[in-house]
Parts: sequence; C-alpha cells; structure tokens
Amino acid sequence: MINSIVNKFRQRNFVLGFVAVLVIFVLLGIYKPYVLIEGIQRSSLYALIALPMALLLGVVGIINLAHGDFMMLGAYFAYFMNVQLGMDPLVAVVPALIVFFIFGMISYYITFKHVIGAPELNQLLLGFGLSLVLGQAVNIIATNQPRKLSLDYVSSSMKIGDFQFGTYEFIYVAAAILVLVGLQLFLKKTRTGQAALAVGQNPRGAKVVGININWIYLIVFAISVAIIGAIGPIFGTRNTIFPEVGLAYTLKSFALIAVAGIGSLTGVLWVSLILGLSECLVLSSLEYAKWSDIIFFALIIGVIMYRSHQRQVK
Amino acid sequence: MLEVKNLNVFYGKLQILWDLSINVGDESVGLFGPNGAGKTTLINTILGLVKPVSGEIVLDGESLVKMETDKIIKHGIAIVPQDRELFPFMTVEENLRTGNAYIARARKKYQERLDFVFEIFPVLKERLNQAAGSMSGGQQRMVAIGRALMSDPKVLILDEPSGGLQPSLVTEVFHRLKDLKKSVSVLVTEQNVRQALKAIDRGYILENGKIAMADTADNLAGNDHIRKSYLGI
Ligand SMILES: Nc1ncnc2c1ncn2[C@@H]1O[C@H](COP(=O)(O)OP(=O)(O)O)[C@@H](O)[C@H]1O
Ligand SMILES: [Mg+2]
Repeated sequence: MINSIVNKFRQRNFVLGFVAVLVIFVLLGIYKPYVLIEGIQRSSLYALIALPMALLLGVVGIINLAHGDFMMLGAYFAYFMNVQLGMDPLVAVVPALIVFFIFGMISYYITFKHVIGAPELNQLLLGFGLSLVLGQAVNIIATNQPRKLSLDYVSSSMKIGDFQFGTYEFIYVAAAILVLVGLQLFLKKTRTGQAALAVGQNPRGAKVVGININWIYLIVFAISVAIIGAIGPIFGTRNTIFPEVGLAYTLKSFALIAVAGIGSLTGVLWVSLILGLSECLVLSSLEYAKWSDIIFFALIIGVIMYRSHQRQVK
Repeated sequence: MLEVKNLNVFYGKLQILWDLSINVGDESVGLFGPNGAGKTTLINTILGLVKPVSGEIVLDGESLVKMETDKIIKHGIAIVPQDRELFPFMTVEENLRTGNAYIARARKKYQERLDFVFEIFPVLKERLNQAAGSMSGGQQRMVAIGRALMSDPKVLILDEPSGGLQPSLVTEVFHRLKDLKKSVSVLVTEQNVRQALKAIDRGYILENGKIAMADTADNLAGNDHIRKSYLGI
C-alpha cells in the first residue's frame, strides 16, 4: 500500500495534480471557506455513488445503466422501513446491503447474464430497459409522489467565527472513503477480488487458470448493486426521493468514470473533487449560480477533447 | 493418465478433428503438424473451450467432456496457451499467484511451487513487481509457463512454447522442458520439430485433423517422411 503511494509520487503528472489540488484547497479555504466545505461534501456524494459503478465498469467491463435506480430502490427501502417500522435510515444501511446483494444476484440472472460477451449496445439497451422497469415498478407500488423523511440530525451544523456549515454531510466523506478503501482491499487482498481483476483483463486467461468467470461476473454485479443499494438510505436521509431520482446520478457517475479513466477507482475520487468544488464555486456566486449544471458537461467535453487531441499528437 | 478417444470436432459445418485418439502417460508427448492441422483445436477441446460433437476425454478415470473449463483446470490440467493469455496489468507475482490461487490442492504449496518456478526461471525472481504486459515476448512466455506450473498440474499442456522466441531462448525452453519431465506429464505442440524431438519421449503427427503417425522420438527423428516434411533434411 505505502509502496504504491510512494511510487505514485515518482510520476510527474501525479505530483503536479496533487500540488494543484492542494493549492486550490488552500486558496478556496481562504477565499470562500463554505465553498470548500460544501464542495468536499458534494464531491464525496458524487464519488460515493460513482464508485460501485466504477467497480462494475472498470473491473469487469459491465455498463449498468440502471445503476442510479438501484440507489433509488435503496432509498425507498429505507423510507418504508422508517415509516412502517420506525427504523432509522442509517441503520437500514445494513439490511439494505444484504437485501440488495441478493436482489443484485437475481437481477443479474434475469438480465445481464445474457449479454456478457455480447456487443456493448446490448448491455446499454438492457440497462436502459431495466432502469425503466425499476422506475415504473416503484411508480406503480408507491406512486410518483415525492417523499422526504424528516430527521433532526441531518440539519446539524457548526459555526466557526461567523461562518456556519452543515456537519451531517460529512457522512458522505466518511462513506466514500470507506467504500474506496473497502473496494481497494477487496481487489488487492482477496482471491475473489484478484479473480475479478483477472476476468476484467483477460476473460480467456481467467478461465484457463481455473476461475469460474460466470461466478465472478455474478458476484461483482451483486457487490456493486449491494453497495449502491445501501447508499440509497444515506442518500434518502437528506434528499427528496421519487421514482426517477436515480437517473441523473447514473449519468453523472458514468461521466465521472469516463473522465477519471475506466479502471481507476482513486481517479474517480479526484475527478469528483474537482467537479464538486467547481460546482459549489459557481453556485456561490449569485450571478452565475444557474450555470452550475453546465460546469459538469463543460468539464467532460473539455477532458474528452483534450484526450482525443493527445491521441492525435501521439 | 490423459486419454482422448475418437474425438470429432467441428467449427460450424467444417469438421476439424476426425475420430482422433491420443494418450499421455507419465511421459512427455509431442504433437506435431503443419499450421492449421488442428493442434490448438485439440488442446482447446481438452480444456473445454471447444465442445466436441462426439468422443471421450478422460483424466485419471474421470470424464472431462461435460465439464466447464475451470473445473477441468481444477482437475489437474494446466495450459500454456499459444497466445500466453497473461493478465497484462498485473505484476509477474500476481500473475503467478493466479495460477495457484484457484486450485485448492496447489494453494497449500504456494511457496514450494514458487521456489520451483524460480529454480526454472531465475530471471522472474528479479522481475516480480514488473507488469506482465510490459515484458518482452520471451519473458512473458516464461511467466505463462510459470503460471501453469504454479497449479501443480498432473498434465502440463504447452501450445507452441517457442513461438515468437529468439532461437537461443527456444533452446532454453526445451532445456527447461526436459527438466520438467521428471515431475509432470507433458503434452507439447511445436513447429520447431527438430528441437522438440530432443525433449520428448513420444510424438504424434497430426495432418488435416487426423493422426498420421505415432512413434517414439527416436523413430520419428529417423523416419523419412518426418525428415523431409518437418526437419527439412
Ligand atoms: N474459432 C475458429 N472458427 C473457425 N475455424 C477455426 C477457428 N479456429 C481455428 N479454425 C480453423 O481450424 C483449423 C485448425 O486450426 P488450429 O487448431 O488453430 O491449427 P494449429 O494449431 O494446428 O495451427 C484451421 O483450418 C483453422 O482455420
Ligand atoms: Mg495452433
């Protein structure tokens, strides 16, 4: 672990990026401290939601366009556990992990199992269809009426001098770090994690060393769904939920991963950070606040153009 | 040990292997023949990557034809594929570990297997942390052989192990193969028949999907047809 961090610092690009981020932090902290705090919180939520997709897409190459809808389901799960049984949504994270692991396995058997190795378009269409089915199912069962839990603890805040900010949202930071470290350990240290990397890098090679690759696809899909399903309750503590609430997050996660470079989990964290901070910075100016959504897509278009330019130069 | 009986294999409507039978005991067996004869197809069928229309494949009394590839490997067959099939972004060490980690029998002997691989390919020991994809073709071939040996196989299959290697390395690979014979049964396909005959006990000649000839290495080396067609004498 430490070795790989030291190695990273030997790369010039990494050092430059690291220094740039540090400088931005310090400048923002002095200039607009609440932008820094809110930006970090917002970034962490983006990263948190994108990480399970990065696992599935980056490690075994499955594009799941129903990603955000599983989060939506997790949020509804927590909502009804709270309304019916009085369970705190943050406690509901634990049963959600188990329920969504199983639900992920079942979904995989019914859907994605049949498009492994098929052209990517099949995966995209399938994911899109699954997304519609999940959204409409919730629509039928729970109607499309927006719902929101009222919990006292989510509005906790802190004051330093005359500058006040929400502290509850730091849960996103903690959760994102937990998920990132957990996934890294899973990939590096467990046999199943190594098998997942092997399948992603060379499915045929994986078969001939005795890896059951169908099992690996199933497990990684189920893990991804379990995590995003368990993020649902956390998301639901602070946000209004409705059947289509996940769609925007599917798109943002997908774009984040594309910018970070498919296969890089830590990259997702860095890109989220840049994005969250820029968005909050724009939002903080009264004049330009309504431009904040554009930031996201401007950044993505910028990076993609830069990349294709680099490819041409090479 | 490994028995292949009356195998018929098709790609679509095209028959590639015709009623083919071979067996490999406690020995090294060569499988020779021109490009396109069906050597790789036979190996892929043994591995369960291609399913035969009819025929039997038996390892130590157990039939393999209905098994999935991962089960067949777990039963004791290891392969060094023609295209190596390494994991390019993993280090040499991680690649070697994948050869070991999914075979329960071999897992207990990880260190012992690793030492064995280093004994055969000392150069790998210095390259443990290098990404496999960044190595030369010859070194990758060593990693692929090492990875196969990590599984402590009963039968080691090598598909053109000298393919793409410099001549000096080819000699080395066959030198290593000769060492291996003592600890594992070997089935090896090779274009470079002259070199291979020095390292094996018996050989089959495969032509157009049929066994054209089967004999000891010495007899094959002395056979007129072999000398003309494969040794260029
Ligand atoms: N995936 C495939 N689909 C169709 N035909 C194939 C395929 N792989 C190999 N063949 C054909 O099968 C024959 C045997 O090929 P192969 O087993 O690779 O021969 P060898 O390994 O002896 O060079 C060749 O005619 C080849 O063109
Ligand atoms: Mg071949």
